[in-house]
Amino acid sequence: MASNSGKGGADYDGGRTTGFASPAGDAIEGPIDLGEVLDLRRPHRYPVRVLGDALRERGIHPGDILIADAAAPPADGRVCIAMVHGDVWVCQIAYKRGQWWLRPASGAREPLPVVAEDDIEVWAVVAALVRTEV
Amino acid sequence: MPATYGLIDGNSFYCSAERAFAPGLRRVPLIVLSNNDGCAIARSAEAKALGVRMGDPWHLIRHRPGMDSVHWQSSNYPLYADMSRRFYQVVAGMVPRVEPYSIDEFFLDLDLPGDLHALCTALRAEVLRVAKIPTCLGWGPTKTIAKLANHLAKRHPELGGLCDLRSPELRAAWYARLSVGEVWGIGGRTAEKLRRLGVGTIADFVALDARDARDLLTVVGARVQLELRGVSCLPLAMMAAPRQGAAVTRSFGRPVTRWAEMREAVAAFAHRAAEKLRAEGLVAGHLTVFLHTNPHNGDPWHSGQRAARIEPTADSGALIGEALRLLRSLWQPGYRYAKAGVMLNDLRPEAGQPRMLFPTRDPVRSARVMAAMDAVNARHSAGTLRPLATGLARPWAARAARLSPRYTTRLEEILVARAW
Repeated sequence: MASNSGKGGADYDGGRTTGFASPAGDAIEGPIDLGEVLDLRRPHRYPVRVLGDALRERGIHPGDILIADAAAPPADGRVCIAMVHGDVWVCQIAYKRGQWWLRPASGAREPLPVVAEDDIEVWAVVAALVRTEV
Repeated sequence: MPATYGLIDGNSFYCSAERAFAPGLRRVPLIVLSNNDGCAIARSAEAKALGVRMGDPWHLIRHRPGMDSVHWQSSNYPLYADMSRRFYQVVAGMVPRVEPYSIDEFFLDLDLPGDLHALCTALRAEVLRVAKIPTCLGWGPTKTIAKLANHLAKRHPELGGLCDLRSPELRAAWYARLSVGEVWGIGGRTAEKLRRLGVGTIADFVALDARDARDLLTVVGARVQLELRGVSCLPLAMMAAPRQGAAVTRSFGRPVTRWAEMREAVAAFAHRAAEKLRAEGLVAGHLTVFLHTNPHNGDPWHSGQRAARIEPTADSGALIGEALRLLRSLWQPGYRYAKAGVMLNDLRPEAGQPRMLFPTRDPVRSARVMAAMDAVNARHSAGTLRPLATGLARPWAARAARLSPRYTTRLEEILVARAW
């Protein structure tokens, strides 16, 4: 016996009704899957949580979830996840004078050249942002 | 059969998975300890250089000189499984036929057009960039040769992580230099037996008469010899064979001396084993329970094991009941138990089970209750809903004092980056 009780109604999808047959019975599509929208099942997509508000002007707030893409090529002006001297940063990257730089959000700091020997590495490029509370 | 097999594997895979998200661990000698924070089961190159061997008990070696610089982590299997998935997906995106041989080793069908060396170089680079795992890759005409090539790529850094053993001349040169014990499928005891007969190198072994090899080492040894000669006997298996059994065995975080704790632990193991069955739609018709003390810390040795045929089921309640019935007959007070386990065998698909003449359970009700519990645990987290018999505080649970976050599978634990 089919029943809609006990699962909070989760098994009623707009299709099967008890009285009048649903005109939408052949057109059920289900809710949108954000995992698919954000491509989270692909091997190169990593979620990262933002700490600090240095990038507020770029629209990136503390607590935001970034979807970092480890396969995306870096591009001038994009936001990236970088591994710097044992720490994990989210910051902007720039291409100048034939090489990549980490560009600070605040003018008070100097840009850092991306050099593996100095223990600075671009780990992934930020591709999307999720904010669960607005 | 493919003309060329490859084997790619992660360098110190568990350590590399930890380092992917913790750049502070990249420059320190790093080891990952087994369940219960016991023995070293993964070692970074720096830790190997300091003399940490596979399986070394950390509490015994930690006081040795040089060990203060070694950093250890508890094993974080949810993380390693997800990084293995990423590793596999990258490889499978570049090579059409891939066999997942272990959590960090994949056999490849490299019967592909174009420059193989260039492809393998690109494959390693892509796995490092995307899945964050450094690898080594070896290839040759058989799986056994590919495994040996991989081993050489790992042991000889000057090869740049790649080793091509397709050329018979090159193979012959290596075979003459390597001990037969380095071959996949030749264990230490077999190597010793061969050494006593004057067979020390792989070249000696390959030169043995095929009938002698078979007489000495059975068909398995004969097959290894054929594979080393370049005759492929082991095809690529794209999928794991169906599960033969489900075992959940654990060392306790501290010795268990009370019946109430032992009962809880064994119930928890039976419940976990039942979950494994249900995930694959199987039921078990045979159950084994064992327990033992740890003689290595000076405790008197005591062990027991009992098995029984059961009415085929995957119901947690039923399996807990059967396991505790056996456990009761094994329990001897007065011992300090170090480990126990539950093994389920005689597995078969749940669908199409013949109806029992005198069933003791309602299979429909049981399936619905179990499905509801599994659904809650899948949605929230493992262990959210579980039989009370499996305990609440679980003082016997294995130690995992330095567990890293589940960076990729739990939203509350994802990597944190400071805005700069």
